[in-house]
Amino acid sequence: MSNNKQSRIRHHRMVVFSLLSLVVLTLVLPLIPYAIAELGETAGNVANPGTEYWRDVRQRDRIVTGTTQVRGVDTDVLINVTGEEWRQFRMGQLAPYGAIVLGVMVGILVVYYLVRGKIRIEAGRSGERVRRYTSAEMTVHWILAITFVLLALSGLILIYGRWVLIPLLGDAGFSATATASKVIHNYGGLLFAAIVPVAFFLYLKDSLFNLKVDAKWFLRAGGYLGGEEPSAEKVNAGQKAWYWVAMLGGFVLVASGLVLDFPNIFQQGREWLQGAHVIHTIVAIGVIVFFFVHLYLATIGVEGALESITSGHVDANWAKQHHDLWYKELQTGQGGGSASEEPSMSGGSHAGGVASPIAKD
Amino acid sequence: MKLVKKKEGADQSPAQVVLNAATMDRRTFLKRSGISAGGIAAASSLPLSMMQKASAAAEPAASGGKTDQLRTICTHCSVGCGIYAEVENGVWTGQEPAFDHPFNRGAHCAKGASVREHGHGERRLKYPTKLVDGKWTKVSWEQAINEIGDQMKAIREQSGPDSVYWLGSAKHNNEQAYLFRKFAALWGTNNVDHQARICHSTTVAGVANTWGYGAMTNSYNDIHNSKAILIIGGNPAEAHPVSLQHVFRATERNNAPLIVIDPRFTRTAAHADLFMRIRPGTDMAAVWGMLWHIFENGWEDKEFIKQRVYGMDEIRAEVAKWTPDEVERVSGVPEETVKRAAQLMAQNRPGTFIWCMGGTQHTIGNNNTRAYCVFQLALGNMGVAGGGTNIFRGHDNVQGATDFGVLSHTLPGYYGLSGGAWKHWAKVWDVDHDWLVGQFDQGSYEEAKGKPAKPMNTKGIPVSRWIDGVLEDKANMAQKDNVRAMVFWGHAPNSQTRGPDMKEAMEKLDLMVIIDPYPTVSAVMHDRTDGVYLLPAATQFETYGSVTASNRSLQWRDKVIDPLFESLPDHTIMYKLAGKLGFGEQLCKNIAVENDEPNIEDITREFNKGMWTIGYTGQSPERLKQHQRNWHTFDYTSLEARGGPADGDYYGMPWPCWGTAEMGHPGTPNLYDTSKPVARGGLNFRARFGVERDGVNLLAEGSYPVGNELRDGHPEFTADMLKQLGWWDDLTDAEKQLADGKNWKTDRSGGIQRVAIKHGCAPFGNAKARSVVWTFPDPVPVHREPLYTTRRDLVEKYPSYEDRKSFYRLPTRYGSIQAKDYTADFPLIMTSGRLVEYEGGGDESRSNPWLAELQQDMFAEINIEDANNYGIKDGEQIWVDGPEGASIKVMAKVTQEGVAPGVVWLPFHFGGHFQGKDLRDKYPKGSDPYVLGEACNTAFTYGYDSVTQMQETKASLCRIRSA
Amino acid sequence: MARMKFLCDVERCIECNACVTACKNENEVPWGVNRRRVVTINDGSPGERSMSVACMHCSDAPCAAVCPVDCFYYTDDGVVLHDKDICIGCGYCFYACPFGAPQFPQDGAFGSRGKMDKCTFCAGGPEEDNSPEEHAKYGSNRLAEGKLPLCAEMCATKALLAGDGDTVADIYRERVTWRGSSGIGWGWGVAYGKAGLREGKAIEGKATGGE
Repeated sequence: MSNNKQSRIRHHRMVVFSLLSLVVLTLVLPLIPYAIAELGETAGNVANPGTEYWRDVRQRDRIVTGTTQVRGVDTDVLINVTGEEWRQFRMGQLAPYGAIVLGVMVGILVVYYLVRGKIRIEAGRSGERVRRYTSAEMTVHWILAITFVLLALSGLILIYGRWVLIPLLGDAGFSATATASKVIHNYGGLLFAAIVPVAFFLYLKDSLFNLKVDAKWFLRAGGYLGGEEPSAEKVNAGQKAWYWVAMLGGFVLVASGLVLDFPNIFQQGREWLQGAHVIHTIVAIGVIVFFFVHLYLATIGVEGALESITSGHVDANWAKQHHDLWYKELQTGQGGGSASEEPSMSGGSHAGGVASPIAKD
Repeated sequence: MKLVKKKEGADQSPAQVVLNAATMDRRTFLKRSGISAGGIAAASSLPLSMMQKASAAAEPAASGGKTDQLRTICTHCSVGCGIYAEVENGVWTGQEPAFDHPFNRGAHCAKGASVREHGHGERRLKYPTKLVDGKWTKVSWEQAINEIGDQMKAIREQSGPDSVYWLGSAKHNNEQAYLFRKFAALWGTNNVDHQARICHSTTVAGVANTWGYGAMTNSYNDIHNSKAILIIGGNPAEAHPVSLQHVFRATERNNAPLIVIDPRFTRTAAHADLFMRIRPGTDMAAVWGMLWHIFENGWEDKEFIKQRVYGMDEIRAEVAKWTPDEVERVSGVPEETVKRAAQLMAQNRPGTFIWCMGGTQHTIGNNNTRAYCVFQLALGNMGVAGGGTNIFRGHDNVQGATDFGVLSHTLPGYYGLSGGAWKHWAKVWDVDHDWLVGQFDQGSYEEAKGKPAKPMNTKGIPVSRWIDGVLEDKANMAQKDNVRAMVFWGHAPNSQTRGPDMKEAMEKLDLMVIIDPYPTVSAVMHDRTDGVYLLPAATQFETYGSVTASNRSLQWRDKVIDPLFESLPDHTIMYKLAGKLGFGEQLCKNIAVENDEPNIEDITREFNKGMWTIGYTGQSPERLKQHQRNWHTFDYTSLEARGGPADGDYYGMPWPCWGTAEMGHPGTPNLYDTSKPVARGGLNFRARFGVERDGVNLLAEGSYPVGNELRDGHPEFTADMLKQLGWWDDLTDAEKQLADGKNWKTDRSGGIQRVAIKHGCAPFGNAKARSVVWTFPDPVPVHREPLYTTRRDLVEKYPSYEDRKSFYRLPTRYGSIQAKDYTADFPLIMTSGRLVEYEGGGDESRSNPWLAELQQDMFAEINIEDANNYGIKDGEQIWVDGPEGASIKVMAKVTQEGVAPGVVWLPFHFGGHFQGKDLRDKYPKGSDPYVLGEACNTAFTYGYDSVTQMQETKASLCRIRSA
Repeated sequence: MARMKFLCDVERCIECNACVTACKNENEVPWGVNRRRVVTINDGSPGERSMSVACMHCSDAPCAAVCPVDCFYYTDDGVVLHDKDICIGCGYCFYACPFGAPQFPQDGAFGSRGKMDKCTFCAGGPEEDNSPEEHAKYGSNRLAEGKLPLCAEMCATKALLAGDGDTVADIYRERVTWRGSSGIGWGWGVAYGKAGLREGKAIEGKATGGE
């Protein structure tokens, strides 16, 4: 009896268990392959060589050196990863921002001219001429000036000619212009490289900042924005600033320019070229902006300024007005103007005594 | 700037020459020159362009040129890639890919893609030149032939015919190779050989002695059918790049694993699934190691072995010694890797087994090649599509030149040098046998089978040992006198070892004749001041004829251009010289000669009449040309023509192409394949070694090709056998006349072959392959340490052979060299290999600017560990010193894992520098290759295979130091 | 309209340099100028892969973007070509090109750059198709003859593919399918693990033997 009952219970249990296991198995069995596949995936966790290859090529994880049988610059680099950055810089930043910066500066100068007009010699020309530059200083200036202008112009043509000059000259015409620009830029750069150090040392003494005087000059913005014109030495603080911009900028331009020149001799790689080009163009734009100011002030901005570098002499009143400390120095004969050192070189008719830096017309 | 015929180049810098080359030929003969009309704008107003130079140089185009498209075959490696050459007014103006060619489908490697440069030939040897008081002097062909002939005759008079050595070439086409061997025979010497001796001679000997024929059993295309691919001692990615096209088809479509066994992580290894790095010279350990696992796990094909293999039990006994521990101790490969390789090969059948010179160029090269065969036999991989031993030969026609017996130990067709062989060929040549015998030295210098043997019947000096033929004391040599004159007819000496000895030998010679399109290193490496002649030979693009690819297919080449400069085709030079030497008439008795040029087709027909052993008889010039015209009809995998005029033929009628051409045998695509009737290219192992040995049956048991009426193994066919079988009357009367008393090899009617095949039988019998070659020094292949080994601890257990007194006429040293320990001074292993841009000694490829630009420096690949230990930086110049005293100056190429620490790898294609000295100024003006470099073989050492005299270039010793 | 593209299958490229010499052959490119080259990454180590590179004829070509004289143009087939009559040899295209395609023969004093030379997809230049002038400046114009670039046509292992982008992609896709998705992208590990055939390539064994 109990036996019977027990066996019936057992039977029930068996049925239930059987059913249960059947259900469970039906549910689980199809999953097993997945589980195995999953296990296999982890066990055979082999990196995909295709993906690895491209990671290596793009130098994402590590620097991977390639090899090739073809000789030449960077031939062992499969993907020039910085090329696109350089393109973005040149086309997306340099060209538009450069144009903006240059344009804004030109605009400022135009507006300034319209508002302020030419800064006259307030006392009028005295007829008395003061020796300001030696002929060496003038020669160096003009070599520097001409090469700089040519380089700036040819450089700007290479950046902007595509948009500005092709519509005017046509493809072939502009190509000739651009080729000329390239030649001028490549070889003119050498001349520039030679003259910059000369200029640096030649003008260095006069261009050292005199804090007391120059700080004041800067604070008053040289009087250009109104107010009384501050005192200045032979070279005022603005001019000194231009000296330093031009010279330090010049050195940078020369250094980066030499990196860019003669790729077939030095076999420099693209990253050098790209980097040098970025530095070169940014600095060049900067120097050109300053140059615009210099050009403006030296020509139409200030009466009597240009003649200082064409003849070496300025009017005494001009000197008094713009470089009072220098003029005073000359008067006291302390500093000894350069003219006094090289009278025979000064040219023109200087009846005045050798000791006197002031000559009568 | 006249371009139809090349002029001699002016003295120019390489770059200039290239520029000029670039501005010349094609420009002047531009295809559409007629329609050029208007557009000649002055290129640019500014003089800064490369193209301006070009326009300035452009001459008014020669109009009305007709373009011919010719079909030729690449002259570099043995793949046999087809080429379309476009020729205009005799100038080779274009090279087009042959997409319809069954071997390469238009593909090429760097060399094949630049063969058109042969049409420029800027750096060729331009005219016959003679060294007079140290100066190269131009001479006429007539003068050169006369002077050379007179000197040879004088040497013959004084020292006998064996003192002139005829060194032939794998660059000859079949007809020239055949004529060359015949030439040497008519001169009266067996001192004739070519590069096969130093590339695959151990393969030919090992493989032929295993199952009958010494050649690639399947084909490059057949690799498509492989389920596994094993490459040992080969780097086909550089040596046979187009073959990788076929390998990749198998790896991609069949998921076939690619196993590479090599000391160096090669470009091929880069694509392998399993790379097994072995110590150079331990192939035996690797192969027996794999076989150990196969036997251990019962993976061998027992049925196949029972039916078709003799002596596997003896192999088992030897393999049993190669436990995983021992394999690792000797070769350096861990058990895991060896087992995996064995397993991959066992589980993926059929698998193919590929080897190259990494296996062959050893003192035990013949052991290695036999072990490879045994491995395939054990797995039952032989005689099936997708299986086989796919031995990649080197040069374009090294297979053909081997088949035509440009070797010191056999006549064409592997007939050997026995009296019967000479009689057979005398009949084919239609020359008087007695006269022929009289041409040879009648003395006797060695014994064969206890009887004095005559030089006519004894093996000549092999190319690997010509140096010793010159330098050895003649008392120790089995010929009358030393070698006194060397004829290098298409040979690069820098492909041979022992540079300083070779230089000495060259200087000791009375006469050196170099016949080659290029001056070769032979012109410059010695310090002779006279007695050297350079004769300009034409390349294979300047003549025509047949060439045998590695897979035994014969291909016909068109003549692309006329011989450049004053060069002449090789067979013309042979005829001229034979005339001078007094056997011109015999040389071309049944061959038409026009303007001193023997007719190529006539030569083909002549060898068709004699080459019964290996079935070079069915490939008539007509059939070959038909195949050439119908490349597109042949299947890319099976090579069988489907429809078209050559319907049913296999491309190039891979030998054996039995019987006469009229019989129309299609050729044999895969050797020993019993799944086809013999008449359709089926075959079985050859009955070459008797029918019984020690009471054991050597004939096949229960295995035979489809349709074989004997339905079992059988001996080779003879006339008597036909009579016994009652098949004699199947012969025609004409056949009966020639066949009576002959066998399948000597019956010049082809009748015996025809009848045997008619009854489904292979003419050469049906036997087992033998895994034990009882006629060799090591019947069962065993490992022996290289003569110059780093592993002194293994020398006792695996010693080399004893020195031999007379082996190929020369004393040959083994044990006495191995006895000395050099490892203290020379601790590194030196081994060599190939680069894709160059071929062989490289004189030709280094003269091709398109190739030379890509490999400008000879280098040594060394592991970074060694580099750091010796203080050597990548790109630096170093000295590699060999233990025999030679030193070479090369650039160091430091590698992470390319070679293992302790191994120095050198490419062997460079030449023109000798022990640090640049020899450029010693070349005849304008014919110096663009790139020169130190030959690695200068530093390689003594060591020759125990069966074939193959040189050992894969395992020696060296030391490195900064230069 | 077809858009011509190159594709190099790195699983097949074996650095045989056939593409390099085929280009020299077809275009008579002088020593020192290489319109195509093969670059190998991880040379002599497991994972070594090679790739043939030349001008890839970009859809938005950086060279064309940065050219100061605007000498580049696209053909109807999407091939990027340039006009050597206009080119000034400034080298900017070389700075920008991802693939190092632009080449500059030495010209003028101090080895300054001559006019740029690069792969033309065997499509010549602006001159009349297959005229001597075109050939002199740019090499062959195979496209005009209905042929594709010789480098790809002669590739030893058919690793380098050239032609209409769609066709090239189809060929490559088929190949990847044949490979059982090995090599590229999805499922690589599973495929290799399951087949039990291939695993990560590692160098095993020592050259100098055991002990």
